[in-house]
Amino acid sequence: MNLFIKFDFNTVCTTVLEQCLEQLEIAYKIVGFGEVSFPKPLSEAKKKEFLALLAPYQIEIVEDHKRILVQKIKDAILEMIYDEDTEVQVKSSVYLSEKLGHSYGYLSNLFSEVTYTSIENFIILQKIEYTKQLIIQENLSLTEIAYKLRYSSVAHLSTQFKNTTGITPSAFQRIIAKRKQNLST
Amino acid sequence: MATDLTHIILADDDEDDRLFFTDAFEELKMSTAVTTYKDGVYLMDYLNHPDATLPHILFLDLNMPRKSGMECLKEIKANKRFDHIAIAIYSTSASDEDIENTFVQGANIYIKKPSDFGKLKKVLSNVVTTNWQYHTNGLNRDQFLLKL
Amino acid sequence: MPLKSVYNAPWFVKVVFVISLFVVFFIAGIAYKHITDLSKSQSLVVHTYKVNVELEQILSYLKDAETGQRGFIITRDSLLLQPYLKSRNNLNNSIAELKVLIQDNQEQQKNLRELSIAIDQRLDNFELASSYIFNKPNNAAQFDKVFLLGNDYMQDIRNKLNEMIALENGLLEERQASYRSTLKFTPVFLYGFVIIVLIFMYLAYAKINTNLEELRLQNHQLNVFKESTKQSEIINKHGSWRWNVDEDSFHFSDNLFRLLGEEPNAFEHTIENFMHFVHPEDVKKLSDSIERMRHEKDLPFVTYRVIHNDGSIHYLKAYGKSTIDRDGKTQLLGTTTDVTEDIAHYNTLELRNQELELNNKELAAFNYVASHDLQEPLRKIQTFLSRLKEKESDRFSESGKTYMARIDVAAGRMRALIDDLLQYSRTNKADAVLKSSNINTLISDAQQDLAEAIVEHDAQITVANMPKMLVVPFQIQQLFANLLNNSLKYRAKERAVIISIEYVLIAKSEDERIASGHFAQYHKISFTDNGIGFEQQYAEKIFTLFSRLHNKDEYSGTGIGLSICKKITDNHAGFIFAKAAPDQGATFEIFLPKRQ
Repeated sequence: MNLFIKFDFNTVCTTVLEQCLEQLEIAYKIVGFGEVSFPKPLSEAKKKEFLALLAPYQIEIVEDHKRILVQKIKDAILEMIYDEDTEVQVKSSVYLSEKLGHSYGYLSNLFSEVTYTSIENFIILQKIEYTKQLIIQENLSLTEIAYKLRYSSVAHLSTQFKNTTGITPSAFQRIIAKRKQNLST
Repeated sequence: MATDLTHIILADDDEDDRLFFTDAFEELKMSTAVTTYKDGVYLMDYLNHPDATLPHILFLDLNMPRKSGMECLKEIKANKRFDHIAIAIYSTSASDEDIENTFVQGANIYIKKPSDFGKLKKVLSNVVTTNWQYHTNGLNRDQFLLKL
Repeated sequence: MPLKSVYNAPWFVKVVFVISLFVVFFIAGIAYKHITDLSKSQSLVVHTYKVNVELEQILSYLKDAETGQRGFIITRDSLLLQPYLKSRNNLNNSIAELKVLIQDNQEQQKNLRELSIAIDQRLDNFELASSYIFNKPNNAAQFDKVFLLGNDYMQDIRNKLNEMIALENGLLEERQASYRSTLKFTPVFLYGFVIIVLIFMYLAYAKINTNLEELRLQNHQLNVFKESTKQSEIINKHGSWRWNVDEDSFHFSDNLFRLLGEEPNAFEHTIENFMHFVHPEDVKKLSDSIERMRHEKDLPFVTYRVIHNDGSIHYLKAYGKSTIDRDGKTQLLGTTTDVTEDIAHYNTLELRNQELELNNKELAAFNYVASHDLQEPLRKIQTFLSRLKEKESDRFSESGKTYMARIDVAAGRMRALIDDLLQYSRTNKADAVLKSSNINTLISDAQQDLAEAIVEHDAQITVANMPKMLVVPFQIQQLFANLLNNSLKYRAKERAVIISIEYVLIAKSEDERIASGHFAQYHKISFTDNGIGFEQQYAEKIFTLFSRLHNKDEYSGTGIGLSICKKITDNHAGFIFAKAAPDQGATFEIFLPKRQ
């Protein structure tokens, strides 16, 4: 025997939310579809309980602060790369977890989830971008750049450059120079 | 995340290659919208329409009837409206010198069509994520060069 | 040697003649002076004799008078007085004569005056003695006194005369002595001068003689040269001509006539006659050229056709240059060469070249198109194959899976071949542009291209510092990438790969293998690995296309990589050589010309 059912998604979800919040005795107000506002700030413990209750229904909190944290990671990385005075001798993973107060594993997962790329890749990408900038604007030699960006050797830098961009630093320099020449003629 | 949808256009006269291309993106499950054109003339007709949604990344086969990829590249680079499009050359093969020349003419990416479907997926995903990095991190697009 | 240089100086003969001329004039002057001196001394002698004769005459007249008077005194015959009367006149004449003769001599004049007084006294004495005879014939004592006085007078006169004669003779003696002394030295002088002049003249003669000999020799050589020029004109098929622009006259060499198919001097040497032979289509070109020559005085190469009388057409090439001859006239010297054969050869060569170029282009185009277009279907086969493996391999039987794997390997090999062939066809000389390049950067870029394999096999690569070179950068990078790839591919399995790249600048003469090169200096780059090496006998074979020393199951080479290296060094007018022994590694020596 088959029964045909008609239901409203919105009502179902709202009802689930109401039940969970009431069970936890939290003051709330459902603002609209997919948004709940709390008159009093939610404690971290309460929030975890709330999430646990919602998990079976596959309802998650869309947290903006993830994005904020990712932005913080990015900022820290950029600071690490661009600020020559920061004597970062420690590994970037240690540096980031200390600076942001989260475990590196957490940061790493979060970062990949939001940006589709790993922290390591992001660091390399940023370093290579900075290298390009130094080549074009400061006209620095690869040796100087390798020293400035704390690479162990020029070969290491140029290999990373080639792996990231698919072209060698000298080819890059040549292409940019020719482009400028094209523009000026 | 509808706002993060990446628009992609491919112009290639080879039907198999268009198929591989769309299949690859389908399997990649990235939030992309792929459109294909079978030569440079169709492509430029679309792009030059004032209401056209401009792609984030444009893949150009070099060897096409009527209008070649190189001609399209030059037209696009001459028009300020297309400044924000990342141009990827998607070609069979070329000498290093020819590849450099496409970069000099303003291409951002050069992809030698791989002969392995898995590799194709990897390459295309790399292109999209790298472009995404440039897009979201405010990197200097003038120095965006990628050869795969 | 300054004397020698004076002797050989072109002005030597002239100077000798001028000196000789002066010496002759000098001698003539001296001779003239001496002859006048001689005639002077002669006239002095004559003068002295004349004076003496006159003086003797006077004495003689007086003696005549005395004799006459004495006769008269004895005979009393007045007729005998006649000589005495005559002598008076004669005496006066003689004295007058003497006066003239000795007018330049004071002493003699004084003597003459005393003499004439003495003569007068004597004559008066005659008168007196005669009158005694006529008027007082008896007064003998008085007469004797007068007569004796006359004798005394006569003695006085004699003395005076002798004195005068002695004086005159003394004077003569004195003068002649002085003339003698001068006359004694002059012959010595003259003789000396004549000897010197003779020596000079002899030198001049000798000089003229040698000059003449040289001239004769040169003349001979000139004749020989002229003959050989004629020969060479015939053999090299060229003729020469002269154009005296100012007089508008021409002279054609014998062979110029032959170039026109005529016998030498078959027609008059005029430009009109020459023009008859020129191909009608080229007449204007040549006339213009000649007209230009008249103004610019320098004819650029002009090639034109001439038609021989037998109707055959020949190509001539002419060149002219103006010179100013000794008379200051403009002369155009020209050479005309028969270039018919050259042009024929050139045309054939040009044709062959074009054919060859076309062939090469077609070949390169074919190679490119074939390898390029073959890529497409192959890539699709491989891509579909990868899709099949990924999606459908579960449904395949074991043998089906094996076939798939075999297809995959075969397709992969075909891909390698096509890729290499494509690379080979891209290494074309035509689109190569030489650029000053940093070779170290090119090598490091080549290493980047192979970074994966280098890391995988843990290869140690040392590269010497190299100077910048004028090369085609892409090709040189390719060259090193291929050599690196070669070393990695043919590595010895039991040891880590070690590659060293050395550099030295050498002169061409230092290595006989590069003796055929066109440059003075070469960059020698030695590329050494420690791989499996090969028998030295294959050292040349490995550079030929598709040549492989190993079974393709053992090593995955296509036999193209090293051919590309060879082609690249050829493109650079360089060389590549290999040295190896089995299991001893291989060394590739690359020579690239040092260009300025």
